[in-house]
Amino acid sequence: MKQMKLFLGPQHPGMHGNASVHLYVDGDIIKKSFLLPGMLHRGFEKGMERHTWINNISLIPRVCVVEPDINEMAFAMGTEKLLGIVAPERAHWIRMIILELARLSIHLMAYGGLGGPTGNYTLMYHAHADRNSILDIFEQITGHRVYHQYIVPGGVRKDLPVGIEKDIHAFIDSLESRYEEYRDLGIENPSIVARIKDTIMLPADVVWELGVTGIGMRSSVGKPYDVRKVMPYARYDQVEFEVPTSDYSDARSRIDCKLKEIIQSISIIRQCLAKMPEGPVRVPLGRGQSMRWTVPKGYVYSPVESSRGEFGYYMVSNGGTNPWRVGVRGASYPQGLLGVEKYLPGTRLDDAALWIDTMGVCSPEIDR
Amino acid sequence: MKSTKFTEPRKLSKEEVDRKWWEIGDFFRRNSLWMLMYCTGCCAIELPPAMTSAYDMERLGMGPMATPRQADILLISGYLSVKSLRRVIYTYEQMSEPKYVVGLGSCPINGGIYHDSHAVINQLDQYIPVDTYVAGCMPNTESVMNGFVDLMEQIRDKTAKGWIKYKENNEWYKKNQKAALGEVIIHDEFHE
Amino acid sequence: MMNSMNNVEFLKGLMNQNFKIVETDVIDQYQVSFVLKQADVLQALVTLRNAGWIQMSYLSAVDWPDENKIEVVYILMNWERPVHIQIRTKIDRNDPVMPTIIHIYPGAKYYERECHEFFGVKFPGNPDYQKQLILEMWDDMPPLRKDFDPKAYSDRKFTKREYNEDYLVLSDQNDKKAKREARKERAESLKGGQKI
Repeated sequence: MKQMKLFLGPQHPGMHGNASVHLYVDGDIIKKSFLLPGMLHRGFEKGMERHTWINNISLIPRVCVVEPDINEMAFAMGTEKLLGIVAPERAHWIRMIILELARLSIHLMAYGGLGGPTGNYTLMYHAHADRNSILDIFEQITGHRVYHQYIVPGGVRKDLPVGIEKDIHAFIDSLESRYEEYRDLGIENPSIVARIKDTIMLPADVVWELGVTGIGMRSSVGKPYDVRKVMPYARYDQVEFEVPTSDYSDARSRIDCKLKEIIQSISIIRQCLAKMPEGPVRVPLGRGQSMRWTVPKGYVYSPVESSRGEFGYYMVSNGGTNPWRVGVRGASYPQGLLGVEKYLPGTRLDDAALWIDTMGVCSPEIDR
Repeated sequence: MKSTKFTEPRKLSKEEVDRKWWEIGDFFRRNSLWMLMYCTGCCAIELPPAMTSAYDMERLGMGPMATPRQADILLISGYLSVKSLRRVIYTYEQMSEPKYVVGLGSCPINGGIYHDSHAVINQLDQYIPVDTYVAGCMPNTESVMNGFVDLMEQIRDKTAKGWIKYKENNEWYKKNQKAALGEVIIHDEFHE
Repeated sequence: MMNSMNNVEFLKGLMNQNFKIVETDVIDQYQVSFVLKQADVLQALVTLRNAGWIQMSYLSAVDWPDENKIEVVYILMNWERPVHIQIRTKIDRNDPVMPTIIHIYPGAKYYERECHEFFGVKFPGNPDYQKQLILEMWDDMPPLRKDFDPKAYSDRKFTKREYNEDYLVLSDQNDKKAKREARKERAESLKGGQKI
């Protein structure tokens, strides 16, 4: 039979982000496919070389749009390693709270995004309503709903406002009480389970071949390979949490791991709020000299655990006021580019959007 | 004083009748605008709270639409890279008239934070006509809803005439598109 | 902590015994970097892969126009013995050629394509390293080289919005500037001439 060319194009209701997948389709089965990235390309790596080190804080949250705090954390960690300074104690705990709240918001959005391709819009409405409460909490802490610019080299910009613990506790209590309802709507729902069980598999040797990290790796290899456990940063070694794994990697077990990570994040936030000490939150860097502030020479790579895998910034400095080179290692680069080329063919056409959602392909960090 | 019993009612000309039908059409059009689902840039993150139950835009009559042939509004959410602009122009020309364009964020206005980037265009209304801008980086969801209400008032006041401008000044738009993009329709082995 | 210092020592021993290292740098207990010569890189990657570093995290390049060199960077990771290894090598800038590594790490195929597009480095052996991935119909030099000026390109190709100059320039601003400078000098002289 003749093969037909189709675009799962940039303008598509099931597509997350602005990237297009070019498909050669025979009947209902996909025969050949490749991703066309580049529609969100803004030239970040060149732009970061033209701004000073402090100026870059306003550019970096925009690299990954849905979860901007990991960018700030990786940049701040890399700059602190080059400078050789350590942030104060209270700043580490506040950073952990912000990072875990961001992880909650993106897991909710990804879980709600499961509702779009399968036609189950109730799930999407519930998830986005809860996510909106998280954005309101962020607005109280940092001043902006989405692009916070809060985690800076040297600590955090300013202290938490008075009375925010009450709001955070109220939110996570209500989210935990609705956890069973979320499970019933999505992952225990027979109409959705029929589409995600035993499909979109990711075996272990494929994981090592592509370089997939994050939930894709943990759910197929079965070991807790998480940057927070293996190379802990920012006091993750002083809170107790588990990293969910599984042995059988189909779409349903990956989404199951995501939901279990929501529960673990809630427990981390509770422990942080209980254990947080008092004190300053920022080390003053070069008072009065922020326009001429230089960073010593070095090459450093700072990895952070994002919801899609290992996300890192590779920073090179030659002793000047601007960075010499900043390279962004996007966590969804392997599964987005090589995975779509080699492992999407064979699935049905209506599962293509589900494939991209459950593998965790976020297109702004592929294009930068 | 003349009474209307003995004078003939004035006959309306064809243009006046057409205009009255168009006004009735505008009333229905502005109360049920359908928006094309196309997330072109960063500001698209503020759209899911607007579409779902947090700030519900369906009470204004707006809803999402899957294909450009049946949509009214093209929402440019954020910056446009050069690659994206080709697809947006292609989509805009596929939409059926009357059609409206809303630009979200500061990037369609003057380039925003990416004004010195080699891949992002600086001023959107050189390439396609824009009816309403919503400034901010990124604008709050309430500002986005405000932008939609502004567009509805513009339709009521008959000042949302972007699509007529595109038809009348087509050469000027095409010249600008060619200067910035080179070619709008791609001719490589997949697109043939 | 003892475990990771052991890992770093193991790596330093392994690399020093098999290759001539130009420079070693231990950044912290979870990261170490080795600078090698261009001819040793392929063999070093095979050795490290057999020793357990089976994940390739990143492949990119850094441009040094003053030395007339481009530095290619490979970052590897092993989750069992967690250390990130940076392998760096400097190659000639006018005709940069580097052998491909897709038979060692298949995931490097797209990284090499992007490196060619942004720096101009050639990877013979990779079947489609010349196709454009992120840019489309690009007509200028590779963008991430230091000679390329993105603002000039943007001003040339994309028109900018013109704003009216409808603000006033008050003529007595110079007095204020002189007063500001005098104030600053006095403050510095009071503190013994040292800025705090």
